[in-house]
Amino acid sequence: MRGLTKEYVLQRFLMYLLTIWLGSTLIFVIPRLAPGDPVSEMVGRLSLDAGYIENADKLIESWKARFGLDAPIHVQYFRYWGNVFRLNFGYSLSHFPTEAWTMVRDALPWSLGLLTVATVLSFSIGVTIGSLMGWRRTPRWLQLILPSSLTFTAIPYFMFGIMLIYLVAFELDWLPATGAYSRRVDPGWNLPFIKNVLTHAILPVVSIVLTSMGGWALGMRGLMISVNNEDYFLLAQVKGLSPTRIFFRYGVRNAILPALTALALGLGGLISGSILVEFIFAYPGTGYTLYQAIISQDYTVTQAIANLIILVTATSVFLLDLLYPFIDPRITYKRNMR
Amino acid sequence: MTVGRQAADETTTPARGWGLNTWDSPWLNFKFLLGVAIVLVILLFGLLGPLFWDTDLAYTGAGPLNKPPVWEEEGLPEHPLGTESNGRDMLAQLILATPSSLKVGFLAAIIGMGIGMALGSVAGYVGGWWDHVIRTISDSAITIPALVVLVVIASYVQMTDTTAMALILAAFAWPGPTRLVRSQILTLRERSYVRMAHLSGAPALEIMFVEMLPNMLPWLAASLTGGISAAILGATGLEVLGLGPTRVPSLGLIINQATTNAALVRGLVWWWLPPIIILMVIFVGFFLMTIGLDEIANPRIRQFSSSRRERIAAGEAPSVEHVDGGVAARRDAALEVDDLHVHYFTPRGEVIAANGVNFNVRRGEILGLVGESGCGKTTVAMAILQVVQPPGRIVQGAVRIEEQDLVSLSGRELREVRWRDLALVPQGAMNSLNPVTPVREQMADAILAHENIGRAALEQRILGLLNDVGLPERVIDMYPHELSGGMKQRVCIAMSIALNPQVIIADEPTSALDVVVQRVVAQTLLEVKERLGVSMVMIGHDMGLQAQLVDRIAVMYAGNLVEVAPVESAFSEPLHPYTQLLIESIPSIRERKPLNVTEGLTHDLRNPPPGCIFQFRCQHVEQICRERRPDLVEREDDHLVACWLYEPERHALIELEEA
Repeated sequence: MRGLTKEYVLQRFLMYLLTIWLGSTLIFVIPRLAPGDPVSEMVGRLSLDAGYIENADKLIESWKARFGLDAPIHVQYFRYWGNVFRLNFGYSLSHFPTEAWTMVRDALPWSLGLLTVATVLSFSIGVTIGSLMGWRRTPRWLQLILPSSLTFTAIPYFMFGIMLIYLVAFELDWLPATGAYSRRVDPGWNLPFIKNVLTHAILPVVSIVLTSMGGWALGMRGLMISVNNEDYFLLAQVKGLSPTRIFFRYGVRNAILPALTALALGLGGLISGSILVEFIFAYPGTGYTLYQAIISQDYTVTQAIANLIILVTATSVFLLDLLYPFIDPRITYKRNMR
Repeated sequence: MTVGRQAADETTTPARGWGLNTWDSPWLNFKFLLGVAIVLVILLFGLLGPLFWDTDLAYTGAGPLNKPPVWEEEGLPEHPLGTESNGRDMLAQLILATPSSLKVGFLAAIIGMGIGMALGSVAGYVGGWWDHVIRTISDSAITIPALVVLVVIASYVQMTDTTAMALILAAFAWPGPTRLVRSQILTLRERSYVRMAHLSGAPALEIMFVEMLPNMLPWLAASLTGGISAAILGATGLEVLGLGPTRVPSLGLIINQATTNAALVRGLVWWWLPPIIILMVIFVGFFLMTIGLDEIANPRIRQFSSSRRERIAAGEAPSVEHVDGGVAARRDAALEVDDLHVHYFTPRGEVIAANGVNFNVRRGEILGLVGESGCGKTTVAMAILQVVQPPGRIVQGAVRIEEQDLVSLSGRELREVRWRDLALVPQGAMNSLNPVTPVREQMADAILAHENIGRAALEQRILGLLNDVGLPERVIDMYPHELSGGMKQRVCIAMSIALNPQVIIADEPTSALDVVVQRVVAQTLLEVKERLGVSMVMIGHDMGLQAQLVDRIAVMYAGNLVEVAPVESAFSEPLHPYTQLLIESIPSIRERKPLNVTEGLTHDLRNPPPGCIFQFRCQHVEQICRERRPDLVEREDDHLVACWLYEPERHALIELEEA
């Protein structure tokens, strides 16, 4: 009864579907609960711009029919799901001939790259710092230095980002302030482009890592302290094992399990925060695209991106869940774990 | 024999007596109070600001454009923090914006907390189907990226005021508290004081509010402060994106206007920096409150930091005074404990857990170390093994194996001696095996830390050891949770004999097991000892078990040894009044007599009385007992006791001296 049991995988998979269903349904329901409807509002805005539009009512009707908004709500809902499954979100309203999905697809790699690097870095640095902080045998000088890494913990990513832009990009002029790469380089697999992309990613990544690693460190510190008090930790010492072995195999190995759970649960917040970072740095990922879609009232792109972000988050959590039993052999026994 | 004390401690609600009136209340946490102070200062700035400054200046056209703060050259005294590109006064804007940001945070977090507490209590208390549904939904809701959905909402719903925004934010603030309340209730309802309340027929709501809520309070408060800053972050995020209420000034909106007007490039630092600074101070304040509350809720963290502070104050190395020389190492002793003093340095004073403990363990014998809970017998075991946990420390004495003093060994030397010469069969076998690694690895690492042997030989050795304690071979690849309590304890015994040590410390090896399994484990220990000729210290409070297993018995009371004797004479003619009490209290089927144990410890371990340690409970107490402490002296053949009753000559001599 170890590793992945059928029951466990099924349970996690159902959870995965539920998350996607909940999120996507929210995205579907919200606009329909809102006072007024997007089409009339849009036509209203057009008429404001143009001064007057002939047959505005007819225009609204025909647009509604075109977007399927005249159908009963449950029909709309099923149609919506069909579209979500086929990743068919229609055309972008602001960049007309382009499909909404194409815009999302272009933005996704930037966000995935930025977030993966930032999350892996902040989690691993934070967990390392926290483990050392919660271990009695850590050298004194390290114990005194480590807490300074928590300095930026309380500050939201994007505020730190603004200050970094001002100091590092404008005042010192060391690194580019915004964007994912300069216009002067050719996008492609060539060295100057890759170098350019990396220099552009430094500030956003640094602002996420420096502000979020402290949270992991604090959590891990508490977990390590708990493990320090466990009987098996004491027995490991009495066995005469080397401090490094005790630290890794008995300390970190046990303390990291709840931290991984926290990582799975925290992904939503992490991804939320990255929208603001992308906005501040004008980084052309999904968050920035979402912002632009909202500003330009591009409902199809908004829906596509919101659904995609929910899908990606749920998938990452699902993958972490599948990984978990290999790290904690007890998981299939614990009913009340998560 | 006396397990009553421990149980009694657990049946009273620990949170009671946590009032703010006591000076060592855990709520007086520096970080928490500093956080509260910071948030209060910010709140006062927002609330009292309008009394001192004209907030009408916060609107367009109130002043000249882009003026820097007053301390710069072009600054104007009527706009101390400068103005921005619409001529709005920065100070007035900040005064108006600050309380509205705080309000959104508080409102959203409190609503979310309310929903969370309701759902969490239902899930935790009612359980069953309700629990399943609530847990599943909150678990999946927590992984949805809130800001994405918020941004979508904001794009459709024009939020006119902060209350509307707080309500929408509250929709994302409940899953965290729900999970917390649920898990807290599940943990707390297993505690004995809650069970006691149940059994005494208290209604569910009363149990909830009287027994559980006070204990959850620090956790709830930490969740609330965390929730407030998350809600402020969410609101500010929307405002920065320009999706919040646009007619009401808010800190996020100022940042939005600054960034969209390129204040960063134009060097208008006074436009974008002050709102960021105020927000950062707010976040730092709530962050300090949250981690302070974490420390309040989790005493281990508090203890870890304070013990570290104490170690730094006291100097890292234990300053042990060595009293070597006078004591001739006895040839037949496998283990010598010599004048061992262990103190716990608690904030309320030094607890003397072991006070000059002296004994030998002879080769091939089992020495029983007995005494009631809290008498210091486990402390002595930990001190022998050199793993006294802070804030405890060995302050004096020696522990010798093969004439080597373990107390004075360096880390590396100590590691070599450990397990090779001195092994442990731990008290809590349930938790003494690492839950995430198989038995094979845990046995192997003890062997490999001391010997260099190949894979095949290692496997053979482990299988042999398991066989020695009567466990089947398949146990080698099992995880601790797949073993029963007795099997785990036998794995621990197998592990302890892996290197054929000189001495094994068995710390209440049977205490958590049921009676039949106790027998099996005790039998296993005895067999192992017979075959290997190992010496053992058997710690326990079960006098019946001790009588059957040990060769000699050492009785401990309040950190002091009071009697050491061969097991036969200790039981047939116990000398110390406390030993007599212990033996009397062994239940007997043949004659039912009233229990004679009157009370537990009667003096404060931080401040032992002069004279005999047992004086308050002793029926034979005399004047001398209150003044001088009796030494542990050999009265009969191999029978040592520390009591004035058996020293009439010295007794008389002292009286003479004083006269």
